[in-house]
Amino acid sequence: MRDERQLAQKTATELETPVKRARELAEKLGLRPYPVNYWIVDHDEMNELIAYSGFQRRYPHWRWGMAYDRQRKQDQFGMGKAFEIVNNDNPSHAFLQESNTHADQKAVITHVEAHADFFANNAWFGLYSDRGDPGQPNAAAMLEQHAAAIDRYMNDPEIDRADVERLIDAVLCLEDTIDQHRPLLAEADPEDRDLSDIRDQLDELGLSDDVRQNVFDDAWIEAHEDAAAELTLDDPERDVLAYLRDHGLAYDNSQQKAVERESWATDVIDRLREEAYYFAAQKMTKIMNEGWAAYWESLMMGDERFAGTDEFITYADHQARVLGSPGLNPYKLGKELWEHIENTTNRKEVVDKLLRVEGITWRNFHDAIDFSVVEERLQPDPLVAGLTASDIDELLQRIESNDDRFDAERVEAAAAGELDLDRYPWAVLTYTGLSERHFSLTRRHNRQFVSQISREALEREARYMFDDERYETIEAALADINYTSGWDRMREIRASHNDVTFIDSFLTPEFVSSHNYFTYEYSQATGDYRVASIDPADVKRKLLLQFTNFGKPTIAVYDGNFDNRGELLLGHRYNGVALNEKQAHAVLERVFELWGRPVNLMTIRVEYDEHELEVARRRGREPNGTEVGVRFRYDGSEVTEHDLEYHLQEAIEATDVDYDTKPDEWLA
Amino acid sequence: MGLRDDLERFREVGESRRQDLSQFISYGDLGQSTQGSVQIPIKIVDLPEFVYDKRSMGGVGQGQGGTPQPGQPVGPPQPGDGDEDGEPGEEGADHEYYEMDPEEFAKELDEELGLELEPKGKQVVEEIEGDFTDITRTGPRGTLDFEELFKRGLKRKLAMDFDESYVREGLKVRDATPRDVYEWARNQNIPVSLAWIADQASQLAADELNQWESFEAVEENVANEPTINRLRREGLREIPFRKQDERFRYPEIIEKKERNVVVVNIRDVSGSMRERKRELVERTLTPLDWYLTGKYDTASFHYIAHDADAWEVDRPEFFGIRSGGGTKISSAYKLAAEILEQYPFSEWNRYVFAAGDSENSSNDTKDAVIPLMESIDANLHAYIETQPGGAAINATHAEEVERQLGDRDNVAVTRVGEPDDVIDAIYDILSTEGTTDD
Repeated sequence: MRDERQLAQKTATELETPVKRARELAEKLGLRPYPVNYWIVDHDEMNELIAYSGFQRRYPHWRWGMAYDRQRKQDQFGMGKAFEIVNNDNPSHAFLQESNTHADQKAVITHVEAHADFFANNAWFGLYSDRGDPGQPNAAAMLEQHAAAIDRYMNDPEIDRADVERLIDAVLCLEDTIDQHRPLLAEADPEDRDLSDIRDQLDELGLSDDVRQNVFDDAWIEAHEDAAAELTLDDPERDVLAYLRDHGLAYDNSQQKAVERESWATDVIDRLREEAYYFAAQKMTKIMNEGWAAYWESLMMGDERFAGTDEFITYADHQARVLGSPGLNPYKLGKELWEHIENTTNRKEVVDKLLRVEGITWRNFHDAIDFSVVEERLQPDPLVAGLTASDIDELLQRIESNDDRFDAERVEAAAAGELDLDRYPWAVLTYTGLSERHFSLTRRHNRQFVSQISREALEREARYMFDDERYETIEAALADINYTSGWDRMREIRASHNDVTFIDSFLTPEFVSSHNYFTYEYSQATGDYRVASIDPADVKRKLLLQFTNFGKPTIAVYDGNFDNRGELLLGHRYNGVALNEKQAHAVLERVFELWGRPVNLMTIRVEYDEHELEVARRRGREPNGTEVGVRFRYDGSEVTEHDLEYHLQEAIEATDVDYDTKPDEWLA
Repeated sequence: MGLRDDLERFREVGESRRQDLSQFISYGDLGQSTQGSVQIPIKIVDLPEFVYDKRSMGGVGQGQGGTPQPGQPVGPPQPGDGDEDGEPGEEGADHEYYEMDPEEFAKELDEELGLELEPKGKQVVEEIEGDFTDITRTGPRGTLDFEELFKRGLKRKLAMDFDESYVREGLKVRDATPRDVYEWARNQNIPVSLAWIADQASQLAADELNQWESFEAVEENVANEPTINRLRREGLREIPFRKQDERFRYPEIIEKKERNVVVVNIRDVSGSMRERKRELVERTLTPLDWYLTGKYDTASFHYIAHDADAWEVDRPEFFGIRSGGGTKISSAYKLAAEILEQYPFSEWNRYVFAAGDSENSSNDTKDAVIPLMESIDANLHAYIETQPGGAAINATHAEEVERQLGDRDNVAVTRVGEPDDVIDAIYDILSTEGTTDD
């Protein structure tokens, strides 16, 4: 990565100050990012980095070529213009395109700072990314080593290059069949994992039963106690790659039988599995991470005018492009959820104080309170909200009186002429000051938010409240508001959650209806997709389906000696949503290459009889099918289908979570 | 960077997995390609994974301005977009394409169909200098062909060399005069001159004379060593270089003919040409266009739509138009003739492809179209009859053309009833052309 070119140099110099300032602002806002190294790259280099997922070197494989080809084409037509790429190492490395406008660069920098904060603080990243020294992830080094090792195998005259490529292809098909809830390191030291700790941690997360049952069930917890657990129907192995690595053989075509796998092959499987774990963290926190970055970027760029007034229009355009992409947009969903969390937390704080006013109860809340007064009182102190360079005298007075919203040192620096207050008004504020300045409930579109609280929620708040006569007046209560509630809570959440728990905990009915979310399903009657439900519980379940287990079906190893013939038995843990059978067959062929003996996959599908289909068609309704268990078997030459024994079907069947949201009288 | 290799690997994967051209032409999605770039779908480029069945999965959407009601249709489901940190291999495999330019397409089609069409050059557009393989007798010093000079000198030497001592022996014959020696030597094809002999004679010492009784004695007793042996023994010190042996290299003049082609595509857009026929026309004419673009240096295309009248259109409109009128094919040929005035046959290769369902106004074929086809000079006239489901009673245009002009080697008539026929039709058309002489 050379930035010796003229333009790169110029860009780099111009961006030095914004980078420093952005870090300063980020820290004032409460973020604690990893250090970030910014690199200026050109168009081609950017496309290359994107192809390599943000790193400079990966093992040789055509998928990178494909990604590069796609990226180049998309870029060519101005679609999907990538602005930045940053990886989650410490220090993080961020790559900026030299041809971007100044405003775009600043937006990117603020975005990157927020990402770097997420990487540094989110526990899930910590679980996977820490190699060697805790808190010192070095993914680039790991990927480099892997690339070098695999390169060596490919160039080894004793090893057939095509074999290496085939092996990599096979492992990549199973990239997501890992146990992403079990950190890689735990394998090294099973004693470290204290059982009670895990249960406690899970309790703290406050997960719903659905998630608990599907993800962190008792079997999972127990399995982590005993690393050498036997495979049983109740306790299948979710880390399919590890199982194949440890127990799989290779199939020798010439001898027509299973033979010991060569050591280089096992090494390749192991390395690729490690990479899968590394990237799992990213995949599992995409919504949160992107939403987080979008939120802070918007605050810094929009509200704090980090871009500068003249660049603001360009920034608005940038935002529109990013958030305007069609489909389920992770940026948008994430950002909206964070804002919702901020608002609800702040509202809770306000409501909490108001309920402690003499004479105010949850019952008369909506009648007794004049919300326009509340709105007015919540407004930030005018100096905090709109200070400029001409306010220097008053600022000095404030620090005199120890107003904790102002940073004494910085105010003095401003007084000494070292700081441009018109350009960087935020610089003299503290975290407390900034939180008041940006208090979400004072934004125009949020002004109704407090009054929108439901009676149920009020009742819940009031239920265990003692000391509910603390304040004489509403004004007094509001004067006591802790403006940092929202942000404090947000930071807690960004540390402990992943997308699944995030959505499970914070996608409230209020959120679903105010943001117009709905579920859709395929209708056999009409042959297209139709809106199915606007019920918040349905929306949440459907969303969770897209994020649990990377939005893919959960496959586990149920038996390593099926039929007493050394055959592998995989099972699809059926939750009501069927597998794509065609692809599953193709994957089975690859699994065979890693197992060396016949492989089986159990799943459940819905079958319809002719009569039922006819009746449904005539009446324009959805046909009713029956769930039937089936087992696919691949023996090295073809896939055959078999009935599934009842006890096996039971083993893979979902319990009570139903992801089908089609209503009964759907299209009638 | 390793990425170059990875890109190459990807291209190889694409090439090995792209659809066969015949599959592509008959059934593939032609819509992704343009005039200059042929995009052939690749079967499965991405690796398979354990995934949910899309239909079974359903999804979540966000309403724009209000929440929609259950039962309302939504667009096709889209995967998570706005993915700026780029994770390769996440999207579906349906839209991967192997890209070919028309040249490659033409080459591949040739291979697949077993054709050997050579593009004809028409007009000499320039003379370019080729390799320095011609030889002339004069030229700048720098282009002297030294090898040639040496060889000639060597030949000359060999030709003129002789065994001097042998001839001198001849001089020692009793009473031999130089003239006698000269004649004797000459009779043996020794290339010696009288002057030289005379010269040698004057140098002989007195006691060397009269050593031999006769010339025969000399011949019997003295060996006439061949030049080659002597040279081998003694080596070669001098080669005579003569001016007349000098040769100079000169560049070959290669005449570069400009290979032009103009293609006039004619399509019947009358009411009877419905969707299926329309699609067959597109599937036949589009690859022909690509093929010709790939084979020729310059390709120019004109598109004529006609019902009872003819008018010129743009390529995008050409396949889509449908009017409601009757049919008069000659109108199109009249317009074609006009257009082709711009492209004299002496300078341009001309192709006229017409497609329709063989329906035509009564007698128009006999009275107007066939004479026009005869009068318009072209490399190839083709008529493609699209009549899925067999011929209709009054659809006789193709038959008539075939009857009247079928024996000409620049006329092709072919029928396309269903997608499978397309590739055969293309073959018929292109191979007819191949039988004409340059």
